[in-house]
Amino acid sequence: MNEIEKKADIIIIGGGVNGCSLAYQLAKKGKKVVLCERNYICSGATGRCGAGIRQQWSTRENTELSIKSIKIFEKLEKELGQDIGLRQGGYLIIVHNNKDMIQAEKNVKMQKELGLDVSILTPDEILDVVSILDIEGMKAIGATFCPTDGHVDPFKTTHAYAKAAERQGAKLYKFTNVTDIKTKNKRIDCVVTNRGKIKTNIVINAAGAWSKQIAEKLNIKLPNKPFRKEILVTERVKPVFKAMVISFKDGIYFSQQDEGQILGGIPIPNEISGYLTNPTFDFLNHMSKTLTRYSPKLKYVNVIRQWTGYYDVTPDARPILGEVDEIKGFIQCNGFSGHGFMLSPMVTKILTDYITDGKSSDILEKLLIKRFKDKEITHETSVVG
Amino acid sequence: MTVENIPNVRTCITPLEEDIKVYEQDRVGEIPDKKFFNKNRKKIDEDVVIVGSGPAGLMAAITAAKQEVPSILLVDENHLFGGQLIKQSHKFFGSEEEKAGTRGIDLAIELMEQVNSFKNIKSMLETTIIGCYNGKNNHKLIAVKRLTKGDQLYEINCKSVIFACGAMENMLAFPGNDLPGVYGAGGVQTLMNVYGVKPGKEVLMIGAGNVGLIVSYQLLQAGVSVNRVVEILPKIGGYNVHAAKLRRCGVPIFTSHSIKEVYGKGKVEGATVVAVNNSFKEIPGTEENVTCDTVCIAVGLTPSIRLLEQIGAKTEYIAEAGGHVAIHDSSMQTTVKGVFVAGDSSGIEEASTAMIEGQLAGISAALLLGYDKEAGKLKKKFRKALDGFRSGPFGLKPKTCKEKIACCWDGGINY
Ligand SMILES: Cc1cc2nc3c(=O)[nH]c(=O)nc-3n(C[C@H](O)[C@H](O)[C@H](O)COP(=O)(O)OP(=O)(O)OC[C@H]3O[C@@H](n4cnc5c(N)ncnc54)[C@H](O)[C@@H]3O)c2cc1C
Ligand SMILES: Cc1cc2nc3c(=O)[nH]c(=O)nc-3n(C[C@H](O)[C@H](O)[C@H](O)COP(=O)(O)OP(=O)(O)OC[C@H]3O[C@@H](n4cnc5c(N)ncnc54)[C@H](O)[C@@H]3O)c2cc1C
Repeated sequence: MNEIEKKADIIIIGGGVNGCSLAYQLAKKGKKVVLCERNYICSGATGRCGAGIRQQWSTRENTELSIKSIKIFEKLEKELGQDIGLRQGGYLIIVHNNKDMIQAEKNVKMQKELGLDVSILTPDEILDVVSILDIEGMKAIGATFCPTDGHVDPFKTTHAYAKAAERQGAKLYKFTNVTDIKTKNKRIDCVVTNRGKIKTNIVINAAGAWSKQIAEKLNIKLPNKPFRKEILVTERVKPVFKAMVISFKDGIYFSQQDEGQILGGIPIPNEISGYLTNPTFDFLNHMSKTLTRYSPKLKYVNVIRQWTGYYDVTPDARPILGEVDEIKGFIQCNGFSGHGFMLSPMVTKILTDYITDGKSSDILEKLLIKRFKDKEITHETSVVG
Repeated sequence: MTVENIPNVRTCITPLEEDIKVYEQDRVGEIPDKKFFNKNRKKIDEDVVIVGSGPAGLMAAITAAKQEVPSILLVDENHLFGGQLIKQSHKFFGSEEEKAGTRGIDLAIELMEQVNSFKNIKSMLETTIIGCYNGKNNHKLIAVKRLTKGDQLYEINCKSVIFACGAMENMLAFPGNDLPGVYGAGGVQTLMNVYGVKPGKEVLMIGAGNVGLIVSYQLLQAGVSVNRVVEILPKIGGYNVHAAKLRRCGVPIFTSHSIKEVYGKGKVEGATVVAVNNSFKEIPGTEENVTCDTVCIAVGLTPSIRLLEQIGAKTEYIAEAGGHVAIHDSSMQTTVKGVFVAGDSSGIEEASTAMIEGQLAGISAALLLGYDKEAGKLKKKFRKALDGFRSGPFGLKPKTCKEKIACCWDGGINY
């Protein structure tokens, strides 16, 4: 391998969608950026995710972040000069009982206030959106639907960011493991990798489910926990629906790709935290049973692959962003709790603004790590998978 | 292809039936409204399951059976036992003990007769292991058995599993590589030697390793003409005996040459070959068009390790192994307790070493379950035999491969 740079303005740890987007934006602002990825680009959660993008959330911050993120996704192909596989077929969130309907109505009201095109559907209207669903099987009393939600190709997007970043002069080092971070006078001083040391004053911790270990090197305790999440894909069959179907109660999500394969996941009961990588038979069973309950028509479609990735989960299911109080220049971009792909455009923009212009924002203030010291935290409840 | 209204069927391995309806699919098929599977999945329990019945798998089964493991299941997705052996009509090289001088096809039959003589071995053909999972004390394998009337799904629980899945052929990227008439060498060998079908009339062979050389010769034996063999390296990779046989038949071997593209309307009509320099870059102006209807690619194999990865065995990329391989100890056990590997799946080598590794895996799996008939002594013998094969110039590559694997071993992970 070639020599690596000895100095950088900013070092990003992690070559997922967030790390690569940061590398692009910061380099574009003229910063000397180095990104260290211990495997290859997309080897973390990004290359394993469902890559659904939705704006229907229960907390204002997430709704706002995702509305703005989708606006960015819509223009990203043009900006990066490369296809990102954006497809807006909507998210159909199934509601199963009156109690959940009350919450759904509350969410929709808040989402509309923020300008989102979202509505509540009757069971009949659900079938107009996705004809192969079974209302009785799902035990659905209604749904919420936002037509501008959808799906983006995580590989195309992340590689487009990575290429654009390199065009802007950023150095993306693959197979480069960050083994230590050193400080001087409570300020970042350098990053140690298996390929040598790099001097810097700013480190962004975008190491996904391994962010906790990165922070530990500086004696900072993140509350994040890794959870194995499983997902499967079926063989290709003629495309019959465009929306992502999800249920907070059952935890299932699935959609059909343009090429025809159905992609989806569900949590297995009693899953424990930890770095477990193996796919399980329980998942295959549970997912097939639930999927065919939602859509008996899919009964004879073959599953061709299942795999796993990690959610990097925080106590309130919201990301941790921004600088920590203890060490100047140590910036967090993690804890995405299973929705870090769709939030990435805005999250990385907010951080870029903070790093380059010192500009903070309401959202950033709310997502700093110090929120966990408070007694009351606002929990994001609209979570699947 | 759509068969009987079921889309995405691999017709090459689907049994034919009277009146069966087979259609070419327009890109993707309709959502099937019929079941391919029989209604209920069957559950079976075994002590040791062996995936793959090549030389490694066959020997693993025989060895475990001799140790008196009560129930052994041998599974292969092919319709014949023997793995690569069933198409190897040539006499084997290697040691006498590992049947050098015997033809692969005869060896497969001989070993299968031995397998059949053991009451504690059950065998299943046309059965593909499609998934594997590990639990606390057992392993779960999901298998599909192809039957003319719908397939049967099996859930197999076992105490130990030996993966002897062999290898996959490497492909090359060049324009036209998806035209009908472009084959892997293994595919051509299967067509000729298993089914008695000639792949074409005029063949261009890519790769002058042993596989490329042997298959070229077998093509000649079958009455197919071989235009030439091209090899990107400056020297022939295979044994001299095989190269000499070809040359005597007038087939030229072009070293430092590669394939640039394949052309033709709807099928292969010819190919452009080109000379390369020391850094494998094409030398402009040296292009030559070769008229042929078949292009046969023999550029190496990659170990089949997907199931091993799924069950959680640690894998590493090792160039001398031919790609990623499962890290294993000197008993062929992977980092997952009770999961063993043998043969080409643990690094591309030869039938002879595959047989010994199979024996080592078979005896180690038996030992793990508490069956011990001079196991220690036998293990020593097998290891010594392997060392023997892996000495000398031709043994250097596998020797390095296995040394690197040993370096990656940092103790098993017990789940
Ligand atoms: C099954 C599944 C489905 C999902 N579905 C969705 C979805 O539909 N929509 C959505 O928005 N989100 C989804 N997510 C979540 C989403 O994938 C993640 O939140 C997002 O990809 C996180 O991106 P990232 O760049 O922050 O981290 P990652 O993509 O995890 O990247 C972190 C990188 O850091 C590297 N790294 C770690 N330690 C080091 C080190 N010491 N040195 C150097 N590099 C290191 C890792 O190798 C990794 O590549 C899903 C996740 C999973 C697992
Ligand atoms: C042209 C050629 C000539 C050769 N000549 C010689 C020679 O002269 N001497 C020599 O020693 N070696 C020779 N070899 C090499 C030798 O054939 C291989 O090294 C040997 O066959 C490897 O044995 P194996 O048991 O590991 O795998 P294989 O023989 O490849 O058997 C693997 C088996 O596993 C089955 N399988 C795979 N996956 C699954 C699954 N998921 N479910 C069920 N079944 C599965 C496959 O169908 C296959 O039958 C030659 C090879 C070739 C191609």
